[in-house]
Amino acid sequence: MPASAADPATHADAPLSAEPEVTPPSVANPIPASPAKPLTRDRKVAAAAAVVPGLALHGSGHYALGHQKTALALLISEGVGLALLLGGYATLRATGNSRYVAGPAVAAVALGAGLVLGSFGADLYGTLATDGGAVDLISRAPPRLESEFGYRYVADPHFSYGHFVVERFTLRQGHFRLEPSAWFSTNSSNVRYRVEAAYRLIGLAPGQIGKRDDHVELVLGGLHQRYLPEHFQRSGLELALDTRFDLSHLGDTLRGSFVDLALGYAVAKVTYDLQGLSVPADTDDLLLAKLGLGVALRGRAARGSEARVYYDHRHDDYAAGFLTPGRISGVFGKFGADLRWYFTPRLGVLVDAQVGSAWASGLSLLLREGTVTALGASP
Amino acid sequence: MIRRSNTVAWLFLLAALGCSRPAEERTREDLQVGHAQNAALEVQVASGLAAIRGLAHDQLTLWLSAPSAEVSLVVHETLQLELRVENAMAALELSDLDAGQVLPVSSGAGGTKKSWALTLTPGSWHFGLSAPGAAEKSHFRFALMSDVQEAIDRVQDVYRVINTQADLDFLLGAGDLTEEGEVDELERFQHELATLSVPYYTTLGNHELGERPPAYQQWFGRANFQFAHRGVYFTLLDSASATIDPLALEWLDGWLADARDSVHVVAMHIPPFDPVGTRNAAFASRAEAAALLAKLAEAGVDLTLYGHIHAHYSFQNAGIPAVISGGGGASPERGGDIGRHFVVFEVDATRGIVSSEVVRVDSED
Repeated sequence: MPASAADPATHADAPLSAEPEVTPPSVANPIPASPAKPLTRDRKVAAAAAVVPGLALHGSGHYALGHQKTALALLISEGVGLALLLGGYATLRATGNSRYVAGPAVAAVALGAGLVLGSFGADLYGTLATDGGAVDLISRAPPRLESEFGYRYVADPHFSYGHFVVERFTLRQGHFRLEPSAWFSTNSSNVRYRVEAAYRLIGLAPGQIGKRDDHVELVLGGLHQRYLPEHFQRSGLELALDTRFDLSHLGDTLRGSFVDLALGYAVAKVTYDLQGLSVPADTDDLLLAKLGLGVALRGRAARGSEARVYYDHRHDDYAAGFLTPGRISGVFGKFGADLRWYFTPRLGVLVDAQVGSAWASGLSLLLREGTVTALGASP
Repeated sequence: MIRRSNTVAWLFLLAALGCSRPAEERTREDLQVGHAQNAALEVQVASGLAAIRGLAHDQLTLWLSAPSAEVSLVVHETLQLELRVENAMAALELSDLDAGQVLPVSSGAGGTKKSWALTLTPGSWHFGLSAPGAAEKSHFRFALMSDVQEAIDRVQDVYRVINTQADLDFLLGAGDLTEEGEVDELERFQHELATLSVPYYTTLGNHELGERPPAYQQWFGRANFQFAHRGVYFTLLDSASATIDPLALEWLDGWLADARDSVHVVAMHIPPFDPVGTRNAAFASRAEAAALLAKLAEAGVDLTLYGHIHAHYSFQNAGIPAVISGGGGASPERGGDIGRHFVVFEVDATRGIVSSEVVRVDSED
């Protein structure tokens, strides 16, 4: 089945550009939305092909669907991902995890794994997604102000804390973003403060409308964690490049899906507060790598609603590194999933679950202001 | 709906693969080490400081994890028992603690494998295995060697150099004896140790976790344990899963208290912090790492020893001197200036860690 028959033609194969595609909103020219289509037999066959032989040859689902360009793009993504993954792993093996190459090699492995998993997931998504109106839903600029207030439960057998109140504020002005946040334990004295200052190099600013949600941000972060019962504190700085790539660049069928990728470096000082003892602080550094694969939610979910699964390589937060019974325990970071569901342009919830050395999950209330709808600025 | 199902399935898969206490089963297994019985005999090694490698009607074989151990026997019928002790210090003696007498060794005097012929009547018996002077505070040397793994074929090179070291009481290991932890690998490692002139006291590394459940403890004994030698305490912890099980941390609290006023050396495989943090050859949780180090610093631990990284690093963590020595031969870290090696420490029960020296095995180093 040709692409045009399966889905309305939109903006396939458009490159990621520094200037986001901006469409002035107007009542006369709203962003088109088409109704959800039933899953056809062809799509079911394509979805099966996305698994077998798609597990090995990513893009097989789209090839079966007749979207050769998208299929090729996914196959190339898989190839590049495998090359990075195997290259990084081979470098680590050949050098005995040398201190001089370990950081970049681990980053290559993480990036490669993200591309491999992302291209597989995208192939499956593209063959199953039937809602041609997705483009309407993912077109959004970030809100000027967003706040989060919620609860998290952390199950870590090594620490007495468990219940946390979480607060976060996000303020955007033009291409700048400032985001202070905090986790306060309610059954322990544990606390985590974090602040992010970011500059959006590519992507929409509040008030703009575009059909895609691509962005590249340079993020400077500061973190302070207090573990009073355990007699230490951790304070650090980090610098990262945080990006989102809208997968509709690869084909119409992938509208409404995206890949998140962040890479960076963090350095921290660990100070020990031991009564009567003067203990020198330790310096610790970290590779930051985060990979996510997500979809915009449709139906009754308001604009900006999305679901995502992700991998986060950082080992210094509550969920930390992934523990397994085998010999690679602790090598990987945490895995997680989150869901942002906006009931209205202003009000929504965030559900988050992470598994690493501990389990962390919870629910937050989201409030935002300064969003833009397809028909104009929000209240 | 399909997408939601996939997400749920993915999360269940993660839940099945991951667990917050991967070392729990091993830690509980520690409690079984040193206990065995048959129709004629019950054996209990105090603090699990020896693995029972064999128990037959007329023979008991122990693999010592420490320089000294106490063995209690409950005998149900009169026995002629051959007590075989492996991984022993050369001067190890067997004492009948109830009679207060040293028993003559039958074979292996001066070696690491010894045996005694015992005539046991029904009742309880208490024996001590110890070298003369082991309970007195004094001065001695020990070495650290870890991470042999796939280099087992070349490990005799290392042992030959270790055997040339004068006045070495024992070799300490911080794990990764084998590549996968399979039974034939563990057996091979013990076989190769026969040429070493000193005993090898060790914990396990992540490469011993290839078998499920790991066979390590049947061969080498406890993964978490403490012993004292000449007034210096040694605590070995199981960090092979990049974490320490909370049960072992409970034991650690007691061991730290016992050793608070003494010189104390703590060894484990994976270090809490990797000196090269981006490489992340460290604990899974940096918070757990810092909490452990705070605990060790608060208890006045004098030295921390690690393996896992196939190079030599000397640094401090929480102000405690730390040495990473993964020089047993496993694929060396390129760019490090020291290849195969071991480290010799000189310790004194009153003065603490007196000195340390890196000994290179390969002359081209």
